[in-house]
Amino acid sequence: MAGIYIHIPFCAQKCTYCDFASYPREIGKCEAYFAVMYKEIKYRAKTLKDKVFDTVYFGGGTPSFVNEKFIYGAMKLISQEFKIKPNAEITLELNPGTITEEKVKLYKKAGINRFSVGLQCADDGMLQRLNRIHTTDDFVSAMKLLDGENVSVDIMIGLENQTKDQIEKSIRLANDLGASHISLYSLKAEEGTIMYSKYLNGDLPSEDEVADFYDFSVKLLSTLGFSRYEVSNFCKDGKFSRHNLNYWLRGEYIGFGVSASSFIDERRFTNTSKIDEYIHLLLNDKYPEIFSENIEGDERKFEFIMLALRTTRGIVFSEYEERFGEKFMVRFSDRVKMLMPYLEIYEDCIKIKDEYLYVQNNIIIQFMD
Amino acid sequence: MALKKENIRNFCIIAHIDHGKSTLADRLIEMTGQVSQRDLKDQLLDSMDLERERGITIKLTPVRMYYTAKDGKEYVFNLIDTPGHVDFSYEVSRSLAACEGAILVVDSSQGVEAQTLANVYLAVDNDLEVMPVLNKIDLPSARCDEVATEIEEVIGIDASRAPRISAKSGINIEEVLEGIVEQLPPPVSCDDAPLKALIFDSYYDNFKGVICFVRVMEGVVRPGMKIRTFMSDKTFDVVEVGVFSPDLLPQKELTSGEVGYVTASIKSVEDTQVGDTITTVENPTCEPCPGYQKALPMVFSGVYPLDGSKFNDLKEALLKLKLNDAALTFEPENSTALGFGFRCGFLGLLHMEIIQQRIEREFDLEIITTAPSVSYKVYLTDGTMLEVENPSRLPDMSGVDYMEEPIICANIYSPPEYVGAIMDLCQEKRGVMRDMTYLDQKRVKLNYKLPLNEIVFDFFDGLKSRTRGYASFDYEIEGYERSELVKLDMYLNGDPCDALAIIVHKDKAYARGRAIAERLKEVIPRQMFEIPIQAAIGGKIIARETVKALRKDVLAKCYGGDITRKKKLLEKQKEGKKKMRKLGTVEIPSEAFMSILKIDSDN
Repeated sequence: MAGIYIHIPFCAQKCTYCDFASYPREIGKCEAYFAVMYKEIKYRAKTLKDKVFDTVYFGGGTPSFVNEKFIYGAMKLISQEFKIKPNAEITLELNPGTITEEKVKLYKKAGINRFSVGLQCADDGMLQRLNRIHTTDDFVSAMKLLDGENVSVDIMIGLENQTKDQIEKSIRLANDLGASHISLYSLKAEEGTIMYSKYLNGDLPSEDEVADFYDFSVKLLSTLGFSRYEVSNFCKDGKFSRHNLNYWLRGEYIGFGVSASSFIDERRFTNTSKIDEYIHLLLNDKYPEIFSENIEGDERKFEFIMLALRTTRGIVFSEYEERFGEKFMVRFSDRVKMLMPYLEIYEDCIKIKDEYLYVQNNIIIQFMD
Repeated sequence: MALKKENIRNFCIIAHIDHGKSTLADRLIEMTGQVSQRDLKDQLLDSMDLERERGITIKLTPVRMYYTAKDGKEYVFNLIDTPGHVDFSYEVSRSLAACEGAILVVDSSQGVEAQTLANVYLAVDNDLEVMPVLNKIDLPSARCDEVATEIEEVIGIDASRAPRISAKSGINIEEVLEGIVEQLPPPVSCDDAPLKALIFDSYYDNFKGVICFVRVMEGVVRPGMKIRTFMSDKTFDVVEVGVFSPDLLPQKELTSGEVGYVTASIKSVEDTQVGDTITTVENPTCEPCPGYQKALPMVFSGVYPLDGSKFNDLKEALLKLKLNDAALTFEPENSTALGFGFRCGFLGLLHMEIIQQRIEREFDLEIITTAPSVSYKVYLTDGTMLEVENPSRLPDMSGVDYMEEPIICANIYSPPEYVGAIMDLCQEKRGVMRDMTYLDQKRVKLNYKLPLNEIVFDFFDGLKSRTRGYASFDYEIEGYERSELVKLDMYLNGDPCDALAIIVHKDKAYARGRAIAERLKEVIPRQMFEIPIQAAIGGKIIARETVKALRKDVLAKCYGGDITRKKKLLEKQKEGKKKMRKLGTVEIPSEAFMSILKIDSDN
C-alpha cells in the first residue's frame, strides 16, 4: 500500500483549537500555491515512477474552501504523473459551510469518491465558540448533497462545557444522515492556540471527563453499528479509511504542500509549514522539505509496533515476521510478559485490550529501547 | 624574613549574610597586592562553585597579606575566613580560636542582625578583640551614626573608631588596614615552648595528601619533625610547612603566632580533625588546645543511585568527598524499595544538601535521597541499647522497652511581631520555651528546647514562611530524652515501602500519616491501575488515599502522517519514566522520597 497526501492550507477563518498549517488571510496566494505545488508533484513523480498508489487524500486547512477547479487540476495532474490504482480511495476534507452542488459535481468528476466532513459538534453555540464557519443546518444540507457517497464525519470530544447529550446528538445526526465512518477526536489544546489559554484557565473538561465521553461514545457508536478499528476511528460495513490505515500499517506515502509529511524508502521527511518559504523554495527549483530522517534498525520495529497497536487489528505476527525476519513473540517476550494484563494474545496477532486502548502510550513506550 | 610577633595580626571577619564580608576580604587582598586585579575572581575566598552560587562559605580559606602601615613597618595579616552557617558553628568556633582579633562588618543601612550577634558573642567568648566596620556607607539609606550607636548598645563594644567604608566601591579601605594594625592585638610569642598547633581546617590534596590549616600557638614546626595529633593519636613526619598567599607557599618554618599549613603525607582528613592539636613526638606539650569536639553527624539520610548499577560510582564519590569532609559518614545499606545505597550522616540539613548537590554536580550522578532522620537510642527489654538511624531498622516494638530521641537547645532571633507565629510553630514541633529576651526594641531572642527530629522535618521552611524570612535560628545538641515514638510505615499498592518509613512522636503519627499519604497521592502519577497508599502504625492502617488509574494518555490523531512528532512525544514520556523508581509494579518519582518532608508548608 502507498498513499498520496495533498495539503491545502487555506481556510475562511481559523478555529480556536487549530494549530495546523492553515492561513485564513493568505487566500490571495492560492493560485501561486497550486502552481508551485504542481511543480513539486512533477519533481517527486520522477523519482516515484514505479510506485503504485492506493489512496489520495486532500487535507487542510479546508480543501473545499478553495475554488474546486484547483482540486480538479491537482487530481488530474496526479493521475497523469502517478500510477493510481483503478479502485483507489480518493478523499477530500470538506467544511459544511463551503459546499455547493456545483462543487460536489466537479469533485466527483475529478475522481473524489470519499468525503470527510468536519462537523465537530451538532451545537450551533459551540460551533460559534470554536470559530467554525458553519451551523448544524449547514451540515445537514452538505450531507444531503453528498447523499449516497462514502462519507466520514469528524466529531470532537473534550470541548468546553460539552455534555454527553451534545456528543450523542452529533453522533446520531451523522449516522442518520448516512455517514459510514466517524473520526472521534479528543481536543488537544496546543500551545499558541486560543484554546490553549482556556486549557490553562482550567475551562476544559478533565482527562477523566474526556475518558468518560470517549467510553460513552464508543458504546453509542457500537449500538449504531460502528466498530472501532483504530483508537479514534469507527466505521460501518468495512468502510475504514484506507488512507489512514496505510499510516498505521507503516505503509509509504508522499505528501505535497506546506507541512506535508512523507515516508518513502525508510526516509521520513516533512515540508516547511511556512507558505512563503514553500513557494520561494519551489520557485527556485528546490525541494521544500526542511526535515529528513532515515529510519534504521530497531527504530523501524518500534514504529511498526507503535502504529499497529493503535489499531484493533493489533500486530499481525506474519506481517511483523515478513518485514523484520524475526518472530515478534520471541524478540519481545520480556515486554509481553510485563504487559500481559493489558494485552490480548491470539494465535496470529497481539493487541491492546479494548479497555486499555485509551491509555496506550504507557504500553507503547515499553517497546522503546 | 624574620618575623616579629608584634607585626603579625591574625583575624577573621564576622558579618551577616550580604553585609559584605567576602567583598571586604577581596578588597583587603587587592589593596595589599596579594592577587592582581586580573586574577581576582569575585569573592575569592569562596572557592567552591556552590559557595559562590549560594553566597555562603563552607570551607575555610585563610589568606596571608603583607601591609606596610603608616608607621613605616611591614605587617603580616592572616585572614581566616569563617563559614556562616549554623551547621558549621563548631568550625567557626575553631577558626576564631586561631585568631586574636575579629572585624565585625555591619551594613550601615541594615544595622546589626541576629546571626551576627551569635558569632560576635562567640568571638568575645574566645577573647577576641572586635573591631567594628560600617560598610555600604555610599548607599542612600546608610545611617552610620545610628548604626554605630546600635553596635555600642546592642553588642556593647566601642564603635567610635569604626572605619566607615564601602567595600564595593573601595572607599576608606585603608582605614580598615590601619585599624587592623592599631586596634587588633598581635599574638603572644613563645617559640621556645614545645609545639602546640591548632588544626582549624584541613583538606585533601591528590599530590600532598592532607593539608592541615594550623595556627601555631606555641613552639615551632618545620619539615622533618615527627609530629603527633592529640585526639586521633597518630604520628607523622612533616614534609612541608608554608603560608597561604592564597596559594600554598612553602616556608622554612612556622613559629608561634603564625597561621599556615602543614603537610605530612596524611591519607585522610579524619586523622586531622578540626580542633585537634599537633605537637611533637620528642618534646610534646602537655596541654592540647581546649574545646576539641569530634564532628558528629546528627542528621541521617539514605542516599541511593537513581540507576541501581551506579552503586560503585556513588561509593567512589562518597569516598572522595569524605577525604575532605571528616564530618560526613556513610555506610552501605540495603532497601527493598531502592536497592543498594548508603546511610549517610551529616552535621545538619545544609550540610546534607551540600553533599547531595556535590554528588550530583561534581560526580554527575543522579541520586535519590530519603527523608532525613536522626539517631534514636532504642532500649530493648533485654537491657541492651541500639542506635537506630534508619527508621526501617527499628526492631519489633514488642522487644522495645523505651526509646530516646536527640534534643536541641535552639535560639531563634526575630523581630517582635513574629513572636506569636514562632511560638505556634515551636508548639507544633513539641518545643518547650525556656526563655525570651528582648535584645533591643526590634529583636527578640527565644530560647527553646526542641526535639531534633522535628527540626529535620520541615522546621526551617516553616520558620521562614511564618516570619517572612526575618527570623534566624541556631542550635546545639543538648542530649537525649525519653520519648513516646512510633514507626510510621507507608504501604504502596499493599506493600510496605521501607524507604518511606519514618519515626515520629506518637501524638503526631496520625496527622503525619494522613499528610504523607495525601502528599504521595499528589506526587505519584496515575498509572495503569489504581494504587492504594496507606499509612500504618504497627500494622494498623491509619490513613488511606488512592491514586486513581490512568484513563487517557493517547495521542491525538496521526494527522497527515506526522509520525516523527508522535515519536518525539513518546520519547519524552519514556525519558520521564527513567526518572522513576519502580517499587513492585508501582512507579514513583525520585523526589517523592523527599517530598514527604514538605507537607507542612501548605499550612
